[in-house]
Amino acid sequence: MTGIGSPCGACKFLRRKCVNGCVFAPYFSHEQGAAHFAAIHKVFGASNVSKLLMHLPVADRCEAALTISYEARARLQDPIYGCVSHIFALQQQVFNLQEQLASLKTQASQGLAMAVQLHPMDNFLSTSRGL
Amino acid sequence: MTVKGGTSQACAACKYQRRKCSAGCQLARYFPPDNPRMFQNAHKLFGVSNILRIINNLKTQEEKEEAMRTIIYESKVRDRYPVHGCYGIIVELHCKINQAELELEAVNAQLNFYRQQQHRMSQSSPPPNHSPPHLQLGNTSPINALPLFQQHPHQSYNGMASGINQHHNSLSNGSNGVVYNTNLEYIESKEGIVNSFWVPCNNFLATQPQFITTQGFPIQQVPEAPQDYDEMHVFFDTVDDRQSYIESKDAYESRYICVHLVRLVLTVVVQVFEADEIRIISHRCSSPPSNASTT
Repeated sequence: MTGIGSPCGACKFLRRKCVNGCVFAPYFSHEQGAAHFAAIHKVFGASNVSKLLMHLPVADRCEAALTISYEARARLQDPIYGCVSHIFALQQQVFNLQEQLASLKTQASQGLAMAVQLHPMDNFLSTSRGL
Repeated sequence: MTVKGGTSQACAACKYQRRKCSAGCQLARYFPPDNPRMFQNAHKLFGVSNILRIINNLKTQEEKEEAMRTIIYESKVRDRYPVHGCYGIIVELHCKINQAELELEAVNAQLNFYRQQQHRMSQSSPPPNHSPPHLQLGNTSPINALPLFQQHPHQSYNGMASGINQHHNSLSNGSNGVVYNTNLEYIESKEGIVNSFWVPCNNFLATQPQFITTQGFPIQQVPEAPQDYDEMHVFFDTVDDRQSYIESKDAYESRYICVHLVRLVLTVVVQVFEADEIRIISHRCSSPPSNASTT
């Protein structure tokens, strides 16, 4: 939390007075607050993010600020794909795992069928030994 | 807003901004007039000037088009999930990957178990024409119990195999069986993503122990049973209780029938012997005694 008279990271970056009801103050008052807000401002713009946060319930604003900060930094790192490249990579990973899983499950079901074929005689022998 | 005297319609960007859509409009190719919502989302998140700055910083047309695709996608996801946006999708994908990896581990363990079992079976396989000893007594016909029980094991094992396959199918249904591709529309069509950050992972964590226990096969340790039939019973007991009950019931019934038949045979034999004894005694009584006692 900001001290009395101490501007939040967003207002520091914008070089404006940090008022009492500043929408950014609760989420950009940490050490990296100014740097994170700089990325947000460069990619999305302060007014867009301010409107976005104002339309959300207070309880959800913290998570929204974090995710917006993440997307802004991702977009600065990769101007073409942003955070969507991460989604593509994960999607591909899931697809590969699903394929691998399907193949192994087929093998497992074949193994089970083979075990079943080998066992009837053993099962009968086991019952006859029980006499 | 249409161009005066022209037939081309203004793009969604110019329509929204209520300005003339010139021939050199940079956003016209990305925001067709039939989809105004797409531009509204992008405008709401990025703003026109930021979009133009991002595009103008890129060199090739392909890069610009790719960037616009991702900008449109990102703004669409943010419109749909205002709190978490794309990060929510990333978290859910991470959860899916963890789940798939666990499932892979479990199936690998199952496969190793089958391979070990197969190896053990190949080492200690019985002679092919081995049959259990049957009773063969005098006039009685030999009782061969083998043909009576050949059908039952197959039926019970096939039922169990289908039950396990159904269980596997039910497990795979959790992942929707959707073919994954890099098409953004796949992600857009997902309905399972909610705004709450922790719901997917919590559900995953909640179902994780259930997944492992219902899978049933011995992941940790295969019980070291001296005989194959003991090990086989343990395996099927852990896989499907219902099927294993049926399996053991069949085994119990077959054993019971065997015992019953043996008892039946024994009673018949006893009766035959008793009948012979009675015949001998009656014959001796009816015939004149060879050594009659004299006074």
